Amino acid sequence: MSAPVVELKAAEVRFASGPPWAKRHVHALRGIDLAIGKGETLGLVGESGSGKSTTGKVCLGLQRPIKGQVLFGGAPFIYRRRALKGALAAVLQHPQWSLNPRLHVGTSVAEPLVINGMGTTRERGAAVAAMLERVGLEPALAKRLPHQLSGGQRQRVAIARALITKPRFIVFDEAVSALDVSVQAQILNLIRELQHETGFAALFISHDLAAVRYVADRVAVMYAGEIVEFASGATFYRRALHPYTRGLQEASELLEEPDAKLMDVAGQPPSQGCALSQRCPLVIERCRAERPPLRPLGDDLVACHRAREALPAA
Amino acid sequence: MAAVAEIDSLVLEFRSRSGRVRALDGAALSVGDGQRVGLVGESGSGKSTLALALGRLLPPNAEHLEGALRVNGKSVFELDHAALRGLRRHELGYVFQDPIGTLDPTMRIGRQIEAVLAGTGKTASIASLLASVGLNDVRRIVRSFPHEMSGGMAQRVSIAIAIAPKPKLLIADEPTASLDASIRSQILDLLVSLCAAHGMALLLLSHDLRAISRYCERVAVMYGGRVIESGLTADVFGRPLHPYTEALLRAAPGQERIGGRIEPIPGLPPVLAGRIEGCSFAPRCTFAVDECRTRRPERTDHGDRSVVCLRATERADAMAGVPPA
Repeated sequence: MSAPVVELKAAEVRFASGPPWAKRHVHALRGIDLAIGKGETLGLVGESGSGKSTTGKVCLGLQRPIKGQVLFGGAPFIYRRRALKGALAAVLQHPQWSLNPRLHVGTSVAEPLVINGMGTTRERGAAVAAMLERVGLEPALAKRLPHQLSGGQRQRVAIARALITKPRFIVFDEAVSALDVSVQAQILNLIRELQHETGFAALFISHDLAAVRYVADRVAVMYAGEIVEFASGATFYRRALHPYTRGLQEASELLEEPDAKLMDVAGQPPSQGCALSQRCPLVIERCRAERPPLRPLGDDLVACHRAREALPAA
Repeated sequence: MAAVAEIDSLVLEFRSRSGRVRALDGAALSVGDGQRVGLVGESGSGKSTLALALGRLLPPNAEHLEGALRVNGKSVFELDHAALRGLRRHELGYVFQDPIGTLDPTMRIGRQIEAVLAGTGKTASIASLLASVGLNDVRRIVRSFPHEMSGGMAQRVSIAIAIAPKPKLLIADEPTASLDASIRSQILDLLVSLCAAHGMALLLLSHDLRAISRYCERVAVMYGGRVIESGLTADVFGRPLHPYTEALLRAAPGQERIGGRIEPIPGLPPVLAGRIEGCSFAPRCTFAVDECRTRRPERTDHGDRSVVCLRATERADAMAGVPPA
């Protein structure tokens, strides 16, 4: 098997805030391992502040980890802007903010080609028309401005712009969260089809487990900068093994018989033991003392001392 | 039960340089005293226009053509300036999508809350009001400007401002769409519990069907400027009679099986230029017959439910023998 397109090895990111004499540090990522192969979608779920978007930034080379390694196509990531031109792309949550309001749609879509010096003007025009058609938009829309389009159309434009350089890797950060239900379904199906055709690797970040398990081949669940559960997308159609994942399933109304709820606790996660130990309804002494590692269990990787009890009786 | 808001065949159009757009084409809805009603539909279906019409908060290019709209028995489109002000101030509360945009960026939060609290004893009532929406660090919040707060905090402040005059009807237009997922349920829990505590009715606009089914006892589905199906949430979502409701439920991720495919609704929602003869959903409907394109469906009642579809009776009969999904 060929090397994965993107790979993180024990990546750690820390942010500092406050004045120089009283710096406070927040660990955004605490040793993340993941690999995304060609044509594969990795889903990433978790609540806000869990480090989802930071993981996306690290994968795109926008954030350097303080420890660990980032590999792109099997080689260490090159942090020069032009080195990987056109190989990486991102689609963000609010297309009305990620598209320049004063540029025509066609100009916006062609911009990555212009910046990377790809093709002649005529070739770029043809590529834009073909790409707009491919994402389900009339090529005539190239003459419009973003405010003249609907939310779903704008997100299609953002996807067209991300795909125009034929990237090897795309990050979708909350790409469908701001859209209507019926438009969400169209965009999710579009992402699946385009990936099937062009074979890009994708990182699909969302808080919505229902959308993530639908598009992703494998899903990583993050909490407080760590991956707490890692399994194939199909696993998330049944009761998950980690109590935090079950909390997310419950929040998306995907569970038939909900558990005891996770408690809401403000502030930083504890420095010792499991990061969830203050919030988890299943907490035992061991959880407060010892941090659970990510261990294989069934077809899953789970970081929980009590996950074994959640396995369905065989 | 007395109705707080009653809307009957309301027709509303927007004028623009390029012509007219009909936003509401005979919408009908009733919100009972203390009821929680969800309003769902795609963007452009007329949800927000309907919500704004309740307080006559429409832009100047909007034109009311037909139909009645009553809040607490008062016909909103016939009120004079002073009475309209009173209605907006005392009887309606609005919570909008973008909380930071809703608040005045140049004024500290304390002064903005004072403005809605008439009378004396302000400091104490501000504190208790903020505490009731779950904000406890009163001294800091009162002194801060909207841009210094997170989206969730700002939304709590705008909820506090909306409920301060104890309105009869709280209208929440996508109150969580711009917030983070993990605090969405907290904000909705707060809205619902405040409405229950003060006996307020809630009109919740959302495209999140799961949230509506969790928080609202009744639901109205809008399409093409009309309410095409309304009734108890469990009935409407459990066995939808209108093909559009069914298609909308099928398009939501979450109910498909492993490896299954969710079916988006084909085509685009209509933009109406005037009264439409025939059903506005007919071009996208899999149940449409020729008559649907030429005859305008009128509202029919099926038990506690009203549906605007020519084939509703047929579908209701076919479904009568089938257990709910």
